[in-house]
Amino acid sequence: MSSIFFYARKDAKKNWKTFFFVIIAIAISTANIIILNGFMDGITDGFLEKNMDTSSGHVNIYPDEQDKYIEGLGIKEKKLEGMDGVVAYSPRITAGGTLHYKEKFKTIKILALDPSKENEVTILLSKVDSGETLATNDRDGMLMSYRLADDLKVKPGDEATIVFENGKPRVFKIRGILHTGLAMDTNTIIINFEDAAEQLNLFNKASIILVKLQDETLSGQYKNKISEELGIQKIKEWKQEIESVLSSFKTFREISNFMNAIGLFTGAVSVGIVLYINILHKRRQIGILKAIGMKDLQVLFVYILQAVFLGAIGILIGDALGYAGTKYLEAHPFPDPTLGSLGPRFHLFLIYDASLVTMLIVILAAAFPALMASRTNIIKAIWGN
Amino acid sequence: MEIIKTSNLKKSYMLGKVEVKALNGVDTSVEQGEFVAIMGPSGCGKSTFLNLAGMLDTPTSGEIYLEGNDVTNMNSNTRAEYRLKYIGFVFQFFNLFNELTVMENVMFPMMLNKLSDYKDRSKELLNLVGLGDRLHHLPSELSGGQQQRVTIARSLANNPKILLADEPTGNLDTKSSIEIIELFRKLNQEREQTIVMVTHSPEIGGMADRILHFRDGTIENI
Repeated sequence: MSSIFFYARKDAKKNWKTFFFVIIAIAISTANIIILNGFMDGITDGFLEKNMDTSSGHVNIYPDEQDKYIEGLGIKEKKLEGMDGVVAYSPRITAGGTLHYKEKFKTIKILALDPSKENEVTILLSKVDSGETLATNDRDGMLMSYRLADDLKVKPGDEATIVFENGKPRVFKIRGILHTGLAMDTNTIIINFEDAAEQLNLFNKASIILVKLQDETLSGQYKNKISEELGIQKIKEWKQEIESVLSSFKTFREISNFMNAIGLFTGAVSVGIVLYINILHKRRQIGILKAIGMKDLQVLFVYILQAVFLGAIGILIGDALGYAGTKYLEAHPFPDPTLGSLGPRFHLFLIYDASLVTMLIVILAAAFPALMASRTNIIKAIWGN
Repeated sequence: MEIIKTSNLKKSYMLGKVEVKALNGVDTSVEQGEFVAIMGPSGCGKSTFLNLAGMLDTPTSGEIYLEGNDVTNMNSNTRAEYRLKYIGFVFQFFNLFNELTVMENVMFPMMLNKLSDYKDRSKELLNLVGLGDRLHHLPSELSGGQQQRVTIARSLANNPKILLADEPTGNLDTKSSIEIIELFRKLNQEREQTIVMVTHSPEIGGMADRILHFRDGTIENI
């Protein structure tokens, strides 16, 4: 093996000018994978964190299939308070309605919550762009999503009328404009839990209860425990909640994988072509190698090993470029109207994955030229017949 | 002892649709320690014979024995192993590895053969061929005669039983040619090295112990 390593190294050194371009192609492919996947992770993580931060507890309790609301909210809250490992909970009411402001009106989604409880579970109420957030005992106050506010041209301090789904109207004062970076930015109104309960005649009822646990990894265990304690079947863990978000990223991930594949294919083709041409030029040398006693498999290894050298150098450079690029873009993300900013997120596994995949592709790309070299006919190679 | 023996050795090539009989039934043998020259006109089968005897190529029919072993139908790996350990080659166009230094060229077959003292031995061989002061030069920095001497040193790396030389002086001037043949003579006499050499030159051929005259793919009786 040492003789194979020796010759492969010497030959690669001699041809470094040719191989320089191969190394650059490999480096760019590797860096491309790291940065692109970093972007995908950054966007996915950003969406997931926002969802977790604003829309979900570690465990969410829903009404059973036949019910519209969770009944007996007071008793259920008491039971949750008594459970070890439950840090906080926040009941919410969701309803539909219309919002009237001057001559305009819009269909809205009403989200009613108790600010003091909600703040223990999510940071939704901190996502206020202008004005102030909703206070615990703020009756008749509301937060309005920023797109709705833009459409109606309202500002904090204005008053608007909410007509609830049962037809009951009530005037609320706009306290602040909400900007979450999520779908709820379109047409959501947040009001106090008590106001909604009063308007909709929903006493001791909720549409959902968000539960925060001491240890989110125990969500599966608590799902069953809460189900038993509260007598409710429909309970979802946070992982189930984000499944829908993850699935919406599937297409983006596929596009990203396709782009990675194109990058890798380009790198692989360059490696394959350069090695192939190099081997064509080295036919006589390969003939001599075999004439002096090198076996077919050893010749194959020489050129595979050479590809591994080139791959290793290219991957190291690509890792460094990918790391630097990802870190730079992480620190200087692109502004985005929805998420606030759009940037990659660096994880060490990005480097491992990119390195491993690129090395495998490089070896595969080298396999054909190496096989061709190993099957070289000695007579034809030396005498050019 | 017969170190090379061939029996009814035939080799044909297809040149387009025409079959060319390069060797047409060669029966011959070379004794251990002999210095044999193969001569004959171009296309008579000299190099083909050398390639078959050196296990670089396989015959169409017939048998080849090296040290009494039938090597005719050996597989590719075993042939490579034989070439590495028992046969040394000297080519007309030197065929050195240009990316390796003189010393590396000589020690490389020993590395392939997993010998441990390859550095000392390559120096020893290069001293033997008179290039002890050129160890770290690249082949491109040497004259044709010097390059051929490196090839000879390389061919002796693994102490081969047989040294096959295909027109070793064909690309050299007269002075260098004489030096090379004298080196062959020295190796043959001092180390009892078996040498089979193809040459066009009657003067060079005349320095061998015996001459095999080839014509139309067979050995002529002169």
